[in-house]
Amino acid sequence: MKLSNEKILSMYDTMLRIRKFEEKAMGLFAEGEIPGFVHLYLGEEAVATGACANLEKDDFITSTHRGHGHIIAKGGDINFMMAELYGKETGYCKGKGGSMHIADRSKGILGANGIVGAGHNIAAGAGLSVKYRGTDQVVLCFFGDGSTNQSTFHEALNLSSIWKLPVVFICENNGYGISMSQDRHQAIKDVSDRAVAYNIPGVTVDGNDVFAVYEAVNEAAKRARKNQGPTLVECKTYRHRGHFEGDPTMYRTDEELQEWLEKDPVKRMQQFMLDNDIASQADLDQKGAEVDAIIATAVKFAQDSPKPSLESAVENVYSDIVEEVKVR
Amino acid sequence: MTTIGIIANPASGKDIRRLVSHATVIDNNEKVNIIERIILGAQTFGVKKIYVMPDSFMMGYKVTEKLELSGELKVDIEILDMKIKASPKDTQTAAALLEEMQVGCIVVLGGDGTHRLVAKSINKVPLIGISTGTNNAYPKMLEGTVAGMAAAAAATNAIDYETYCERDKIIEVYKNGELVDISLMDAVVSDEIYIGAKAIWDLKTIQHIVVSSCHPASIGFSSILGANIKIDASDDFGASLKINSGDNHFLAPIAAGAIVEVTSEEIQKIELGETFYLEPDYKGMIALDGEREVGFEAGDRLGFKIVRNGPRHVVVERILESALENGFFQR
Amino acid sequence: MRTMTYGEGIREGMRIRMMEDPNVIIFGEDVGQFGGCFGVTAGMFEEFSGERVRDTPISEGVIIGAAVGSAATGLKPIAELMFMDFSTVGMDQLVNQAAKMRYMFGGKIALPMVVRLPSGGGVRAAAQHSQSLESWFTHVPGLKVVYPSNAADAAGMMLTAIDDDNPVIFVEHKAIYAIKGEVPDVIEPIPFGKASVKKEGKDVTLLTYGKQVYDAMSAAETLAKEGIDAEVIDLRSLYPLDKEAIGASLKKTGKVVLVSEEVKRGGYIGEIAAMISEEFFFDLDAPILRVGALNTPIPFSAELEDYVLPNDQDIVNMVKKLF
Repeated sequence: MKLSNEKILSMYDTMLRIRKFEEKAMGLFAEGEIPGFVHLYLGEEAVATGACANLEKDDFITSTHRGHGHIIAKGGDINFMMAELYGKETGYCKGKGGSMHIADRSKGILGANGIVGAGHNIAAGAGLSVKYRGTDQVVLCFFGDGSTNQSTFHEALNLSSIWKLPVVFICENNGYGISMSQDRHQAIKDVSDRAVAYNIPGVTVDGNDVFAVYEAVNEAAKRARKNQGPTLVECKTYRHRGHFEGDPTMYRTDEELQEWLEKDPVKRMQQFMLDNDIASQADLDQKGAEVDAIIATAVKFAQDSPKPSLESAVENVYSDIVEEVKVR
Repeated sequence: MTTIGIIANPASGKDIRRLVSHATVIDNNEKVNIIERIILGAQTFGVKKIYVMPDSFMMGYKVTEKLELSGELKVDIEILDMKIKASPKDTQTAAALLEEMQVGCIVVLGGDGTHRLVAKSINKVPLIGISTGTNNAYPKMLEGTVAGMAAAAAATNAIDYETYCERDKIIEVYKNGELVDISLMDAVVSDEIYIGAKAIWDLKTIQHIVVSSCHPASIGFSSILGANIKIDASDDFGASLKINSGDNHFLAPIAAGAIVEVTSEEIQKIELGETFYLEPDYKGMIALDGEREVGFEAGDRLGFKIVRNGPRHVVVERILESALENGFFQR
Repeated sequence: MRTMTYGEGIREGMRIRMMEDPNVIIFGEDVGQFGGCFGVTAGMFEEFSGERVRDTPISEGVIIGAAVGSAATGLKPIAELMFMDFSTVGMDQLVNQAAKMRYMFGGKIALPMVVRLPSGGGVRAAAQHSQSLESWFTHVPGLKVVYPSNAADAAGMMLTAIDDDNPVIFVEHKAIYAIKGEVPDVIEPIPFGKASVKKEGKDVTLLTYGKQVYDAMSAAETLAKEGIDAEVIDLRSLYPLDKEAIGASLKKTGKVVLVSEEVKRGGYIGEIAAMISEEFFFDLDAPILRVGALNTPIPFSAELEDYVLPNDQDIVNMVKKLF
């Protein structure tokens, strides 16, 4: 499969936005600037990027608690994302969702999700909607290895298989379900093995290679759009940080982390671009500065944004009912 | 002591061919089952010790535990002492260790790619390949029990292995005069520039195919030549073919269930010891036994040399026929 | 006016909207070819095709999840769980997904989905097929919960449920599917949050819903013979709740007995009782009383089940405590 330099540059741009957004979030969390739980996507950038590079604006994704990468790759607005991390009124969710619940229906982002495995079934439902309406949209369902032990994974794959729903199930196998390593949490190593049980294609690719992910999801999305049903694409990857910021990661070794840092998807992409004369070091430096500025603008936007009004707490529970505050 | 080695690639049977062709997933638990049957076949026929390559799915340990629990383990199983990287390097390292130990036979589970890696590391030790995929030209589908029996027959050295082994041809791949890699069955020159999902399937990107042998009953890129000519493993030549130009039109099964129409020029024979040269005016990659491996720049001089210094593969039927004659099965 | 069973009323509501709007679809276990476990969707598979009346595998999680996902992306799904008891299996999708999505997303999504839950006892189905669990859903902000008791309400409220942009839990009592009632020739949506006064009275208010509306009416008859004039209110909509109707009735009667088939401990009528005490205490001249099921799982044996579930006599007895 051939990609234009323009496409490669755009994929790199996405990877770098994710990388720098997450690095900034990490710093802001450490400084106490942003509250709550933050699950960073550092190290997994190639998956969201390679996968979403196959999508159109009206295609759908479902995401996870580690969702920033997916949302950026699907075109989420970085200012609104950052403002949401700050819990501001201008945030994607008006400060009601936070890191784990960012969504943008207008861009097909059906939400990050705080419940591990919840996206599988929602993706199947979106797939049903696409199939029923007869459009050529596709649904990408992102999830981790840990979630493949939830019933939802099996229910959704089964339903999608029998109804031939246009869903690409993308497992980001980072080797851990929170603190539990994969060999402790399931009796398989390759999640793609589970495709056999649902009579759908299963593929394992190097999740730190953006082109490998791109190619696999490209083929899977083509199948989906041609009404040939779902695919399970497993991307082997690793999270550079713990499950959440503040996780002491006592369950893994420094040596293991170092091995994976050597396979850093962003560095690999940079090296590829240099080796193939797609970008010079000066180009990369310039791009880095450009993305730094975008992130800095987002932080400024978030910081300058107003806090949500207290009255807004009771809004948006329903489309048409606002509970009186006095019920407290 | 009669020893054999087992190398099973946990990554085989799940690459992108599941999507771009009709190949199916071979799951790792089935590979564990195959190893179990190799061990049962081998231990019954006199193998005393079996070395198994360690892997991230811990297949060797799983089999040992299973057979210990069922009380059927009679042989000493040792997992090779090596650090695994969960990468193709593991296969090469394990094969080199087994060669160094001079085990009686190596049984390999995997596809063309796995066998290519083994071939890079072994010279003397006889090899039995089992295909754990649906897209392989080099290893065949073979029941583990029979593979284990054949490995035992080879390892007990009842007969001189020259009589039941055949030495494979390989393709040595050169870039600007330097040997950079080898291929067992086929080397494909394409204008794709990145490794991506490794497997190669898009015919449009392919310019040249070089094979060490080919057969109409084969699958994969060698089948493109196999649809025109039969070159046996024993023939002292290989061939090359330029595709996507010329006026030869034919059908070939380039992947499981994927039969495509190909246009090509005339086949060129490459005699043993001879090197076929290409100087592409484009940047690209060489896929070795179906996987994108070696990148090259426009203007690089690529060489493909057919030599007969590949692995010695056991002809399973032949060794078991000899075994039969030698009372191997008698008790 | 025409006559229909409760089950047919539910079906009629779904049919009307399905004929008007191709985005309304039904799915659930055995709702298609089989016609639904209780026959509510009978004939709809033939009428609307298997594309619109879809049989799902026995997977409650994905039934609800697919309702969420399809509602979020342009459809108006009606998902049926064969028994309300099975909602436990799909609970995450209801509580953590459907109910919270709009709020979590800052109001920027609509979820026009209906979940039908056949509930209640009396059919000797034992502990896992007989429960009344409406309080689990009324407890969750983001869900609307309605519980019609007759064919006309079922049909009209189904239209409203389908039209609603929020997830609606549509509870049905399985023991009254065959009860016939009059239905207007032209069925109109019945707004949520409007109770229905089934019988006017001045001495005591019987606040109830679902099958207990019939028990309350029967109790009211018995009480009338003893000189107690009971007002019977069918709440119909549990959330939103018609506080106005409750307040108006209490002003008149000054006494209230709440009746539900839920186990009494933690039942939704406890919530209503608390609300009454907070907002209408000074209209009362007697303690608020409740009739519910005993605090046990629902037993199988007919004698035991009848003993555990509340009936009209229990209501009569409870009312008499106030006089």
